[in-house]
Amino acid sequence: MINGLQRHLNQRELNALTLLLFLAVVPHFFNLSIWISLFFGAAVALRLFFNRQKNPFPKRWLMTILTLIALINLFIQYPIPFFRTAAVALLVSMLGLKLLEVKQRRDLYVVVFLGYFTLITQFLYRQDMLLAIYAFTVLLGLTAILVETSRHQPSGSLLAPVREALKLILQAVPVMIILFVFFPRLSGPLWNLGLGDESAVTGLSDKIRPGAISQLSQSREVAFRVHFEGAAPPPNQRYWRGPIFWDTDGVEWNLGRELPTRELTLNLGKEQYHYNVILEPTQQKWLFALDLPNRLPAETRITPDFQLKRREAVNQRVSYSVSSSPVYNTGDIYEDEWIRGLTLPDSITPRMEQLVSRWQRQGSSPADVVNQALSFFRQEPFYYTLLPPLVEENPADQFLFDTRRGFCEHYATSFTLLMRVAGIPARVVTGYQGGEINPMGDYLIVRQSDAHAWSEVWLEGQGWVRVDPTAAVAPERIERTFDFDLTGDQIGTPISFDIPESDFLKDLARQVRWGFDAINTGWHRWVLGYTHDRQSDLMQKLGLEFLKGQYLAFAMIGLTAIIMLIIGIYLWRTSREKVDAIQAAYLHFCKKLARRGVERAPSEGPQDFAKRATKARPDLKMEIHKITRLYIALRYGQVNSKAQQQQLQRLIRGFKA
Amino acid sequence: MKLTPPDRFLRLVRPPDSPAPAEIGRRQIYIFPTKPGLVFGVLVMLLLAGSMNYGNNLGFMLAFLLAALGLVATLHTWRNLLGLQLTPGKAEPVFAGQDARFEILLHNPSGGPRPGIRLEMAGVEPVETDLTPRASASLHLTEPSANRGLLRLGRFMVSSRYPLGLLRSWCYVELESDCMIYPAPGPKMPASDTPDYSHSQQGDKGIGVDDFVGIRPYRSGDSLKHINWKSLAREQGLQTKQFGGDRSEKRWLDWTALSGLDAEAKLSRLCRGVLDACDTSQEFGLRLPGVEIPPSRGQKHRHQCLQALALYGVEP
Repeated sequence: MINGLQRHLNQRELNALTLLLFLAVVPHFFNLSIWISLFFGAAVALRLFFNRQKNPFPKRWLMTILTLIALINLFIQYPIPFFRTAAVALLVSMLGLKLLEVKQRRDLYVVVFLGYFTLITQFLYRQDMLLAIYAFTVLLGLTAILVETSRHQPSGSLLAPVREALKLILQAVPVMIILFVFFPRLSGPLWNLGLGDESAVTGLSDKIRPGAISQLSQSREVAFRVHFEGAAPPPNQRYWRGPIFWDTDGVEWNLGRELPTRELTLNLGKEQYHYNVILEPTQQKWLFALDLPNRLPAETRITPDFQLKRREAVNQRVSYSVSSSPVYNTGDIYEDEWIRGLTLPDSITPRMEQLVSRWQRQGSSPADVVNQALSFFRQEPFYYTLLPPLVEENPADQFLFDTRRGFCEHYATSFTLLMRVAGIPARVVTGYQGGEINPMGDYLIVRQSDAHAWSEVWLEGQGWVRVDPTAAVAPERIERTFDFDLTGDQIGTPISFDIPESDFLKDLARQVRWGFDAINTGWHRWVLGYTHDRQSDLMQKLGLEFLKGQYLAFAMIGLTAIIMLIIGIYLWRTSREKVDAIQAAYLHFCKKLARRGVERAPSEGPQDFAKRATKARPDLKMEIHKITRLYIALRYGQVNSKAQQQQLQRLIRGFKA
Repeated sequence: MKLTPPDRFLRLVRPPDSPAPAEIGRRQIYIFPTKPGLVFGVLVMLLLAGSMNYGNNLGFMLAFLLAALGLVATLHTWRNLLGLQLTPGKAEPVFAGQDARFEILLHNPSGGPRPGIRLEMAGVEPVETDLTPRASASLHLTEPSANRGLLRLGRFMVSSRYPLGLLRSWCYVELESDCMIYPAPGPKMPASDTPDYSHSQQGDKGIGVDDFVGIRPYRSGDSLKHINWKSLAREQGLQTKQFGGDRSEKRWLDWTALSGLDAEAKLSRLCRGVLDACDTSQEFGLRLPGVEIPPSRGQKHRHQCLQALALYGVEP
């Protein structure tokens, strides 16, 4: 007795399976060691070789040797088997072996399921639209194999099962969308396997070393994208707050220990910005928000110096919603902030102290000293440059008095030190400044090149106040996003902010870039960035804010049931034959004859029936033959004209048995 | 996966009245995942758990698409049987102990194909076919026969795993189809005491085996041995050589002639007698208690006699 699962696979099934599995694995070639890929390629080649043989199933000894090779290969390439890539390498090697072993229908199911699994592992590495389209195409092919194999005989054309699978998938897509939208999202991971691979990520770090930010500024990579509800703030208010630096040894700035959590006393202005940020992975815990954030995203806390920090590091793209108030007063200073905000490193030189005391003589209040400092930067020959001369011993002193060429980090750190010398509590803030509005998607793109550093000083009655010394030197930097051409820049060359707006090609390139980024951002926003927060936002917009937690699940089940019912009714209706006009007329003719005792048997063809009918009613011979001939011509022949169809209907109507 | 609910809860597919085909209705179809289907379910759960852990939305999408495919496939597997029409076909008579072959005609009344339609019966090899749109096909269920008489086609299942093989839908069908089971041929009839031969009272009517009389056109049922091959070679069509003699061989196969045997053994031997007589083109008649079939020959006669043997003493 042949059990369905034990039936052997035919050559076509084997070939299709091999090809599709290969396609499912191909993108992994970029993620895996070449030797794993080579092993898999060899397995596929062997499979194709065996497919041409009379007995397409390799011997057991060969399988044993290949399994040993696979294990040794894995052990050499991935000695520590706990990382994601090692797991994928194991999967790919197994897949190669299983492919060779495939024999019966049961194996085919195993291989197709492993293929589905392989496709999902692709998304651990890349999540772009192109890969998604590719993966879903391969999924279609794998499904077509299932369709083909559940038939009795192989189908005539290779396209037939693909068409059938496509039909199934198209019907499944509405259900998928419902499940995707309504499936309750958790705000954090279920458990952490720690399988993530560390990869180098550009972005702000937890130290300011000389040149750290200027290096970042050469990167066109996107740091994050922002969708505003309503208008975006003007460029000079787009300060995206990130890590805050308190401690320095004169060369390097450190975060120091975090300030203890306490109740924040804030006095906020009426004006508010609500926006959603899609942050690229940073491998850090900071989230970026405009000065000054007042509504927090989930899983996030705010430190007393207004840094937003997530519980987990951002090791994949996250989306969060924040509100910020551009007008604020942080009120009194705490003792620990006072002490740390005034701590000086050993690198303070006498000429720095002299400079500060000159300012103090000219104006008495701290606010006056700040303004003196800013006009010092403005009036002395300071240049804003991406490639400052190297200063190693005492960066602040040398920058202020000797080189006078620097990037935002030089200005911010030296300004902060000068403030501390003057007895004004000060700290360095890093983050991003500016961003480019994409008119096609109406959102802001903030790139790594927008990385920036500025200062905050505490003033009596105003609280912590943002001061950007860079703005004093290069106000253009603040007004306009940093878009430059590195070619030919010499060390110390001041940056030119003149963008040739009239350049048509450049403009076109920008348009294309914007269009592409808009599609990509839609993808990030609605597919990849559809998180717990985004789900709540969407429900709120749909007026379904009561759908939370289990109610979301109920809604999901309910809507799925409705779609299933619709598909079910559609299928039920197509399971019955649609009687067309020609056949309806003929059935009417049969009915008329049946009334006179000549009944048509279910299996009787029209010709046989006509023969029998004429025998029973020789008087109607002419009519019966005419009707039958016309019916056959219309239904089975080439004749297909409206006039003839009407003639048939007329004849039958006039037929009197 | 064989799940059979108790009989009284079973929803059976039966023909409404005999000539009309039995149509599978929407509430008579059972459905359950197959083994690969259960594995598939576990796979989808795994993919979902993985996607949740990594917060990977594309993973969610793929897992949901597979889950949705499973759901939609449920409907399609159900639909593959829905509306299918079954009619009992012919069942050629066989001898007891041989396999009875019941023909079952399947008709697909809809505009879409119905691949992978399978007929299953306990202890019987399943048969399968693919139905194209608005087409019919016939399948044979082979059931072993033990005793002579009428063998009624048992309850069988129509099932399908199409389109994905993840689910199996099935329904129980009962069709009125009987197969005539002749008695198993026993050992040769013993030579009887009473003469089997009777002289023709009306003289020879050209039916005999002794002398060549002439030729006549072939009639169906004529023995191959009597075909005039020479005239066929001359392209004069099929003609039968006629023989005559002063006595025609008329043999009576008689129940009472067999003594000292039980009824089944007698029937077995009579069956052998009928077959032997047919093989040698003898004209024969059959006498059973309460039944007498006058001597004749030919396929129809043979069937009539064997049927009488098959049904002897069997309650209608």
